[in-house]
Amino acid sequence: MQTLLIALLLPALSIPVIYGVGKKSAKTAALFLALISLVSLSLLLTLIPTVLNEGQYVESYYWIPTLGSAFTLFVDGISLSLAIVTLILVAATTVYSINYMEEKSSLPEYYALMSLLTIGLVGVFITSNLLLFYFCWELMLVPTYFIIGGWGYRESFAAAFKFFIFTHAGAIFVLLGIGAIYMLTGTLDIFQAQAILATVDPNVLTWVLASFTIGFAVKMAIVPLHMWLPDAHSEAPAPMSALLSGVIIGAGGYAILRISLGTVYSAMPPIVGNEFLYILSFFGVLSAFYGSFLALAETDIKRIIAYSSISHMGYILFALSLFPFAEGITGGVLHLVNHAASKGLLFLTAGAVMHQTGVRDIKEMGGLASKMPLTAIASAVAAFSIGGIPPFACFISEFHIFVGAVTAAGSDGSYFLPTVLMLIATVFSLAYVLRYFWKVFLESPKLQRDDIKDPHIFINIAMIALAAFVVILGIYPGIFIDLIYAVTSI
Amino acid sequence: MNVIGVLLPTIVFTVCSILTVPLLRLVRKSKLDPQRFMVAWILLSFSVAAFSVFRLATEYFGQSQSVLQISSADTILAPLSTVFLVDTVSVYMVIAYLVVGSISCLYGVLHVNPKESLSERYYALLLIVTGTVIAATFSGDLLTLFIFWEATTVGSCFLVAYKKSRESLEAALKYLIMVIIASGFIIYGLSLVYGLTGSLNFWVVKQVLLTTGNTHLLLVAFAFIVAGYAIETAIVPFHMWLPDAYTAAPASASAFLSALVDQGSYYILLRVLLFILTPPAVVDWRFTIAIFSALTMTVGNLFALAQQNVKRMVSYVCIADIGYNLIAITSLTSIGLNGNLFFFFVAAMETALAFMVIGIFNKMGLENLEDLSGMGRKMPLTSLAFVCAALSFSGVPLFAGFIAKYMVFTSVLQSSVAWLALVGVCNSVLQSAYLLRVIHYLFAKAPKNDVVIEEPKKLLVPIYLLVIIIIILGIFPALALDLLSTASISLIL
Repeated sequence: MQTLLIALLLPALSIPVIYGVGKKSAKTAALFLALISLVSLSLLLTLIPTVLNEGQYVESYYWIPTLGSAFTLFVDGISLSLAIVTLILVAATTVYSINYMEEKSSLPEYYALMSLLTIGLVGVFITSNLLLFYFCWELMLVPTYFIIGGWGYRESFAAAFKFFIFTHAGAIFVLLGIGAIYMLTGTLDIFQAQAILATVDPNVLTWVLASFTIGFAVKMAIVPLHMWLPDAHSEAPAPMSALLSGVIIGAGGYAILRISLGTVYSAMPPIVGNEFLYILSFFGVLSAFYGSFLALAETDIKRIIAYSSISHMGYILFALSLFPFAEGITGGVLHLVNHAASKGLLFLTAGAVMHQTGVRDIKEMGGLASKMPLTAIASAVAAFSIGGIPPFACFISEFHIFVGAVTAAGSDGSYFLPTVLMLIATVFSLAYVLRYFWKVFLESPKLQRDDIKDPHIFINIAMIALAAFVVILGIYPGIFIDLIYAVTSI
Repeated sequence: MNVIGVLLPTIVFTVCSILTVPLLRLVRKSKLDPQRFMVAWILLSFSVAAFSVFRLATEYFGQSQSVLQISSADTILAPLSTVFLVDTVSVYMVIAYLVVGSISCLYGVLHVNPKESLSERYYALLLIVTGTVIAATFSGDLLTLFIFWEATTVGSCFLVAYKKSRESLEAALKYLIMVIIASGFIIYGLSLVYGLTGSLNFWVVKQVLLTTGNTHLLLVAFAFIVAGYAIETAIVPFHMWLPDAYTAAPASASAFLSALVDQGSYYILLRVLLFILTPPAVVDWRFTIAIFSALTMTVGNLFALAQQNVKRMVSYVCIADIGYNLIAITSLTSIGLNGNLFFFFVAAMETALAFMVIGIFNKMGLENLEDLSGMGRKMPLTSLAFVCAALSFSGVPLFAGFIAKYMVFTSVLQSSVAWLALVGVCNSVLQSAYLLRVIHYLFAKAPKNDVVIEEPKKLLVPIYLLVIIIIILGIFPALALDLLSTASISLIL
């Protein structure tokens, strides 16, 4: 069966249909795209038993033999869980867009770009070929540029410009790394390459590792390479912010795990590269603190969430620095999943608030809980999850991260300080989340208007469905933990 | 296979070119639509030429030798002692010329307003220049190469001067002077080479260079020849003529020149450098070329960044492309040379595409970045084509430019000049920045007025043909790369 190929190409093949239908009715086009992503999702879900039993699932097709590339589609537990949450998020944001974008123009183009973006978002997770990976990596970039620019707020094209230049510059470093791997090994498959890289001089590999990691860190918005993120996230339309923050920056984390750590670092002899992990944990801690402090200081509703994303990418980078401790990595990947769902939901609710009130400064809000009860509930689920309050999703993954960190600190004293600092950072995370929720929904109302109410039906459906998903992730994370643990425990 | 077989495409183009003038005059007098006639005429001449190339290619691939030397020794042309060279590379290049050349010639016909009269001389020039570029590509000795290449450049000078405006005449004069200096260099070098070796045949000259102990004088001679071709290729610091010439020429001529003449001149440089002066066997020029490569990329991109005139910006992109090509030449690996050859084809399509789109804007009087404000909303299809060209230039996947850049950057990583990859990468970022600025003007800025503009449907046909080829080659580069996989070996011999 060509399950993965179909799952990947369905959005591509549906682009003309979506564009054509969109000319007649944008709503039908959106529902069609949501349906397509759910079909792709169910195709991926059918692979869960195979992956749990055999550890991985691979399909390979003819592509560019002269460049050592086959069209290899591959899933293991990690990539499958990330691809699943991506498709759920795509479906939710598309449904959400129906009402959210209805006043905007050129909607057929919007949905066509969304489905092009879907290929990139899913593709980065489900391939083991570096060239194909890079294709999808850049496919995440180009449609995003046009969506942010064309349908965003205020100076949206300026923000999109910044986003494009930063992440494209990062991507070219990734390309350099890919080229180096091809020159060193003659193959672009990450698993074949890893075996051959073990025979390569570690000094050369240090450069390759640096090139890859810098490139991925830009996408992940690790301080000090984060400058593009607050602008891009806050100017993008809410569905795009949700995907940006949920999936696109998470893909940076995934790529560091799979390529920097999994392929290059693990091929280096153990004595050489421990500093690399310390560097990762340093920047992880730095990003976590920087993001939470700025989120505490900011009053723009979307910028708060944007800075919170920087902070959470810090958590994930810290978790990845625990490589190869299984609990830490499991926690990191699980946090990618949970953060994607929770942060996506938080952006959607923030977008709903902005859509209904027309205001984006939280000092002017307050008391919205009584006027927009559904949005308030969804927002509470998302915010409490981001704040790490049990039993919501992110608590579970943060718990795993800290279990891993304490284990690591037990065997390597250098991890002691970062672990303590990271625990302190969680306090700030909780603080800005509570401040956000208090200022927006609970504090005495400042907007003297009676016409504020819950948004339209499709926005509600999207938010409630995603909130339900976040709650399920928190109460019953078993399936994802099983999937991820099957890979990390090896 | 004989000389006539190799020269057949050139002969076809020459005959068609000569016939263009009287036929078009006849058509004007009759009731036929001259534009339709020209489209048919160009398609006819290109398909006859394509057929003769196809015959040549089947004959070449039907035998076992990787390089065919076809000399005029047994024919009536014996006194000329002309040698032609047919190998995968030259056949591939000729196919690329035919594809891009036919599309840009079609654009040239459609670009003219129906009310204006079509100029027969212009199309005659386009056709004959295509013929000479093809002959130069097949040539196997330095003199034949020189003659056909000079014919090409002279033809190009007329194309540049075609508008007869002040600036186009100035640009053409500048071009002509540079070309004359270049041919002076080349002729001087050729006379030295002939005096020392008694031959101008590629293989003989190379053999002498490899076996003679004292090659100093020969190397001086080659320094002249390479410098001459470097001027014609517009390597920095010999690049001054190119932006002027391409900006002043009519849009279809810029597209045509950047696609055929520009890529043809890289190809010749590649032949002379790699085939005759193979490093390190004959002389090691890798470091020198690396310096020129870094300089050409950086200067090209920095100047492009500073341009307000979009056409001039794309001319500087052509210069930057030369820099990227030189990166691959220095690597001397098979992936680099394949990348180089792939890059020729892709760069020809990209630059032609960009010039064609700009031609549409120029026709409406829009020349500067400011003028393009908001055109993305008024003419979405035309602007989208430019976006494709820009993304391909900046090396974004799905477009063929990405594969070309990837191969070029990868190739140099293992060579002695690996730092060049870093220079290339920084340049690539710079390039995407200024190209994105054009997209920014097209889509982000508010339109200056509310005039509704209809998109030129006919002109979009050749433009979208190129877009489709670029995307197909971007997703399935194996279509071209499989043909090239053996080519790089034959290039070094």
